[in-house]
Amino acid sequence: MTRTRHFWSNVAAVAYKEASVVRHDQALLATVLAQPVMMMLLFGLALSNKPANVPWAVLDQSRTALSRRLLEEVRTTGYFVPPRAVASYEEGRALLQRGGAVAFVVIPTSFRRDAERGTPQIQVLLDGSDPLTAARVSGYINQVAATFAVHPDPSDHRPETHVRSPGLIDLRQRFWFNPTLADQRFFLAALAGMLLTNLCLSATSGGLVAERESGTYEQMLALPTRPIEIVLGKLVPFVGLSYLVMLGATIGAGIFFGVWPAGSWFTLIVVTLPFVLASLAIGVFISTLAHTSAQAVFITVFFILPSFVLSGSMFPYQLMPHGIREFGGLFPLRWYQIASRRIVERGAGFAEVLVPTFALMALFGLILAGIRWRMKPRLG
Amino acid sequence: MSWRRLRTLMRREVLATFRDPFTVTVLITVPLAALLTFGFVLSTEVQHLALGVYDADSTAASRQLIADLAAKGTFEPQRYPTREAMQHALVNGDVSAAIVIPPDFERARRAPVPGRRPPEVQVLYDGGEAVLAGNAEGFLRGLIAATTRDLAAHEAASMRAAHASVRTGVEVVTRALFNPRLDGKPFMVSGTFGFVLSFLTVLITAVSIVNERITGTFEQLQVTPATAVEILLGKMLPLGAVFALDVVLMVLVAGIVLGVWPAGSALFFIVVSSFYVLISLALGLIISATSASTAEAVQKSVLFSIPLVQLSGFAFPIRNMPRLVRWVAEVFPATHYIRITRAIYLRGEGPLSVWPELLLLALFGVALMAFALRTIEARS
Repeated sequence: MTRTRHFWSNVAAVAYKEASVVRHDQALLATVLAQPVMMMLLFGLALSNKPANVPWAVLDQSRTALSRRLLEEVRTTGYFVPPRAVASYEEGRALLQRGGAVAFVVIPTSFRRDAERGTPQIQVLLDGSDPLTAARVSGYINQVAATFAVHPDPSDHRPETHVRSPGLIDLRQRFWFNPTLADQRFFLAALAGMLLTNLCLSATSGGLVAERESGTYEQMLALPTRPIEIVLGKLVPFVGLSYLVMLGATIGAGIFFGVWPAGSWFTLIVVTLPFVLASLAIGVFISTLAHTSAQAVFITVFFILPSFVLSGSMFPYQLMPHGIREFGGLFPLRWYQIASRRIVERGAGFAEVLVPTFALMALFGLILAGIRWRMKPRLG
Repeated sequence: MSWRRLRTLMRREVLATFRDPFTVTVLITVPLAALLTFGFVLSTEVQHLALGVYDADSTAASRQLIADLAAKGTFEPQRYPTREAMQHALVNGDVSAAIVIPPDFERARRAPVPGRRPPEVQVLYDGGEAVLAGNAEGFLRGLIAATTRDLAAHEAASMRAAHASVRTGVEVVTRALFNPRLDGKPFMVSGTFGFVLSFLTVLITAVSIVNERITGTFEQLQVTPATAVEILLGKMLPLGAVFALDVVLMVLVAGIVLGVWPAGSALFFIVVSSFYVLISLALGLIISATSASTAEAVQKSVLFSIPLVQLSGFAFPIRNMPRLVRWVAEVFPATHYIRITRAIYLRGEGPLSVWPELLLLALFGVALMAFALRTIEARS
C-alpha cells in the first residue's frame, strides 16, 4: 500500500521536474508548433497523387470531326492541359523522351473508316517513368474511349447505329467516405499519427542521454527513485503534450480542410493512448542504445523515416510486397494510422478498432521489456 | 589559396570523419536502407486485393464476371449474403472495394430495351484509402470491360447478327515507354538519390560543423593562416568525395539488388550527383552557422528538409500541386536535381537535353557556396 503510494508520488515528482524542463526547451517547442503547421499545409494543400495539369501530345492523322471530338472529350476530363499537336510520330516520341508530355495519343488515318465498320483503334504511348501517373492517365483515356459514342457523321444514317448490342454493361462507381477521391482526406486522417511519432520520439530519445551526459541521471539514481519510476515520470508530461498536438491536428484538419472525424472522438482519444505510450517507449529505448545526444538524434530520425514510409501513412501498405508489408507492422504508426483512418474517414466505433488497439498495446509491452533489458546492466 | 594548406585541411577532415564509427555506419547504412525501403513501397500493381461481392443475380453471366475478376489474381472476391453485410465489411476495412450485381442484371443484358439504360453493375470503393482506390479503379474497370466484350462477342456469334457490333467504344492500344510494366521501383529508386543527397548530406554536414563550433575547433581553424575559401573547400571536397562514393554504392546496390540500372550514362549521372552534393553541403554549412547546439541543427535540418523533399517531386508529382506551391517547388535545388536524375536514370537522356536544368543547378550552387563562404568569413 505504502509502496504503491511511494511509487506514484515518485513518478509525479519526476514528471513535475520533466514538465518544467520541457517548458524551457525552445527546440522542442518549435517541433510542437512549427511542424504541425507545416505538415498540415503540405498534406492539406500541396501533395497529391491525383494527376492534374497533365501535358500530352497528339498526332491526329485522321483529321476528322470524329477524331477531334474524341480528343475534346479526353481534354474535358479536367486532368489535362490543352494538347500539343505534333507533326510526326518521331516528334511525339521525342517529346515523351524529354519529359515534355506524359501521354502521346496517335489517331490513325483510317480512324473514321474503322469507326463505320466496327471498333476503331487509337494508340496511346505513355511515359512510364512515373508509373502511378502513367497508370491513372491511361485509365482516364481508356474510360473516355470506352464510352465514346462512335456515331458516324449525320449524313451517313444507318439504322443499326442506334441498336444497343447485348452484352453492354454500365459501370456505376462510387467512392465511399471520400467521394472525390481527394488525397487530402487520406493524408489528413493520418496526420496526427505522423506528428505524434515525430514528437514522442524526438522528445524522449534525447532526454535520457542528455541527462547521462550532464550527470543529472546519476543524481536521480542517487535519490530513492527506481529506474522504472524515472522512466514513467519522464513520459507523463509528453503524454499530455501529445494529446494537445493530436487534438490540435484533428481540429485544425476540421476547421481548415473540413475533415472532421466521422466516428467517435472518444474512441480516437482512447486509441491514441497506447500509441503515444508505445512511441514514447521507443524514444526511451533509443536513448538507452545511444552513447551521445547526436547519435540519439540520428537513430531517431532514421527510425521516423521508415515508419512514415512503411506504415502506410503516405503509400498504401496493402500494395507493398509481402515481407515488407509485415515488417511495417512492427511500427506503431502502422496500427495507429489504420485505427485513425477508420475512425476519421469511415466513422468506425470502438469495436472496429479493437485489433489495432491490441496490436499497439502488444508493441508497448514488447518495447518496455526491451527497455528493462537494456537498462539493467547499467544500473547494476 | 595555397594547395599545401588545402591538402592538410582535407586530410584532417577525412581523418575526423572516419574516426567516428557511428558516422561511417550512418553513411553506409542509411542510403542503402532508404534505397531498399523506397524501392519497394510504391506499387501500381494491385494484387490479391480483397473485393467484396454481393451477387443478387446469381446467373451464369454474373458468375462469369466474378470468376473473371478472380482469375488474374488481382482481386480476391469474398461473397457476402446481403448488401448490408458487404457494406459493413467496407466500413470495417475488410475489403477495399466491393461490387454489387443487381437482380435484373442478366435479364436487362439479354433483352436490352432501346432507350432504356443498359444493365448496370455497381462498384463501391473505400475512398478512405484514396491511393489504393485510385489504383484499383483502373484494374477493375479494365477487367469488367474485358468481360463485357467477351460476353458480347460470344452472344453476337451465337446470334449471327452482323449488326450487333458494339457501337460505342474506341479500342485503346496502350504502351508505356521506358517502363513497360509500370514498375514502381525505377521511379522511387531514382528519387531516392535526391532524397538521400538532400537530407542525409545536409544533416551530417550541419551536425559535424556545429560539433566543431561547440568544441571550439572551428574557431581554431579560423585563426590559422588558412583563408575562408580554403576552409570551405577543405570541408566540402572530402565530404563531397565521401558522398560521391555513396552515390556509386547506391547505383551498384540499386542495380544488383533491385535490378534498376541507369538507362543513360552512369558516369554523367555520378558527375551531376557529385555537383549536387556540393550544393547540399553548402546548405548544411549555412544551417550549422545559425545553430547553437546539435539538437537545434538537427531540428532545423529536419524542418527544412521535409518541404524540400516533399515538394521536390520525389514521391508526388509537382504538376499535381496548386500553382503557388509549384512556383515554390522550383526554388528548391532538389526539384531540379530529381528532374535530371529521372531524365538520366529512366529515360536515358544525355547532357544536351537537360542543360536548362543543369544551368539552374549550377546557379544555385554558385549562389549557395558564395553564401556559405560569407558565413565562414564572418568571424565572431
